[in-house]
Amino acid sequence: MRRIVVLAALLIALASQSAWAKTIVFASDATWPPMEFVGPDKQMTGFAIDYMKAAGKEAGFTPEFKAVAWDGIFAGLAANKYDAICSSVSITDERKNAMDFSTPYFKVRQALVVPVASNAKTLADMKGKTLGAQISTTGHFAVKKAEGVKDKSYDEVGLAIEDLFNGRIDGVVCDDPVAAQYALQNDKYKGKLKIAAIIETGEDEFYGIAVKKGDKETLALIDKGIKAVKDKGIEKELIKKWIGQ
Amino acid sequence: MQTQQTVPVIEQHDGPAIPRKSDKGLVSAWWLSLVVSVGTLLYLVLVEKGAYLRLVKFIPDGVLVTFQVTIYSIVLALFLGLLTGLGRVSRNRWINLVASTYVEIVRGIPLLVQLFYIYYALGRFVRVPDILAAVIAMAVCYGAYLGEIFRAGILAIDKGQTEAARSLGFNRAQTMRYVILPQAMRIILPPVGNEFIMLLKDTSLVSILAVADLLRRGREFASETFLYFETYTVVALVYLIITLLLSKLVSRLEERLSYYVKR
Repeated sequence: MRRIVVLAALLIALASQSAWAKTIVFASDATWPPMEFVGPDKQMTGFAIDYMKAAGKEAGFTPEFKAVAWDGIFAGLAANKYDAICSSVSITDERKNAMDFSTPYFKVRQALVVPVASNAKTLADMKGKTLGAQISTTGHFAVKKAEGVKDKSYDEVGLAIEDLFNGRIDGVVCDDPVAAQYALQNDKYKGKLKIAAIIETGEDEFYGIAVKKGDKETLALIDKGIKAVKDKGIEKELIKKWIGQ
Repeated sequence: MQTQQTVPVIEQHDGPAIPRKSDKGLVSAWWLSLVVSVGTLLYLVLVEKGAYLRLVKFIPDGVLVTFQVTIYSIVLALFLGLLTGLGRVSRNRWINLVASTYVEIVRGIPLLVQLFYIYYALGRFVRVPDILAAVIAMAVCYGAYLGEIFRAGILAIDKGQTEAARSLGFNRAQTMRYVILPQAMRIILPPVGNEFIMLLKDTSLVSILAVADLLRRGREFASETFLYFETYTVVALVYLIITLLLSKLVSRLEERLSYYVKR
């Protein structure tokens, strides 16, 4: 008898939890301003964080953000440490083999950041030079693909920018909103660094929310949220607020 | 009936009971470790193939950088350590103070923080290449520890040795060079060898400075291909193998230096 009561209570608890707001734990490497970063109040903030919060409100889930280092963020997803990754993950074919992606929520291009004094106009001008990027980002892949360019991988894009600022490398390749944040808005680097080129890779690159392969339930909720955010025009406000276009 | 009486055996030693060296037997721990690690690596690469075979490509480059950093750091750290050790036993108050302060400061800051400091913080003023920055940071850190080992080794030599050398007409520098240091070398070799091995393993920390050493190559490969298990297994095995080789080198040196205490 008691067992039945306990079971029933458990079932009710489970049912009510899923009926009410389901909590989705998002992993995020908060070193990628303005998409996701740690704000002055020590809370994770940024475009993607606001986006997911809005999506959660629309689709009825409670987003919870967990700071995870980029290197190994995909391993943590596979090991069930969190439900999804909201960390400016570009949707690539290799990644699609290992995980599932939500509908794209942001279009991104790769930008080349160089010191103001440099007169490089394209990636080809960087032949024989050293370019930095965050480890295993699409920017890093682009540098590796570029001919005659020595690549250097950093744990965080901020460290790469600092090394560029200190004159140890000749350029940094990263996503364009991040490049704009560092080269145009950051008080320290403004006027010292500039965006030399937008790198054409031939394919459009989009950010998506990554979930564990086969996790249809979480994916459906996130997709529903993203769709609502797009339809209701919240996305435009967020872009205005964080990207400023 | 008469039972045979057991005669109590009296063990005789002609000195303190020193345990026999473990690697005298047919199978030593060192050989066992080496065979297991090399065997596993070969098995993975040659039999499992697939991902492991692809992995082998980046290892030579990474190992080369790891070796470079290790060897330069060891040489520089030995030099710094000897200077510090001599400074710590120096009778000159100022030399002593400088050496002691260096040890106190460096020993109190984690190596990772020192690496960050020398590379990113001082990078504003001195723009040294990445491997050089890594070597300097490692050498500065390990120089302090080695200095303490050198000091202990020098102080461990009986005062009578100095007195004897001095009465033979050696001056202080000659006494140190011909009498004290050669004897101290034998004492400090095991702990110094230990530091070498620690240094080799700690070079994995320089991957934080974007130095493309073994660990960073592995991380790049793993986060690109999602082969985390395979990559880190191979990286761990490679580190183990090169550490084993270094430890053999150190124990060979120990044997060479202890030849005249053998009885």
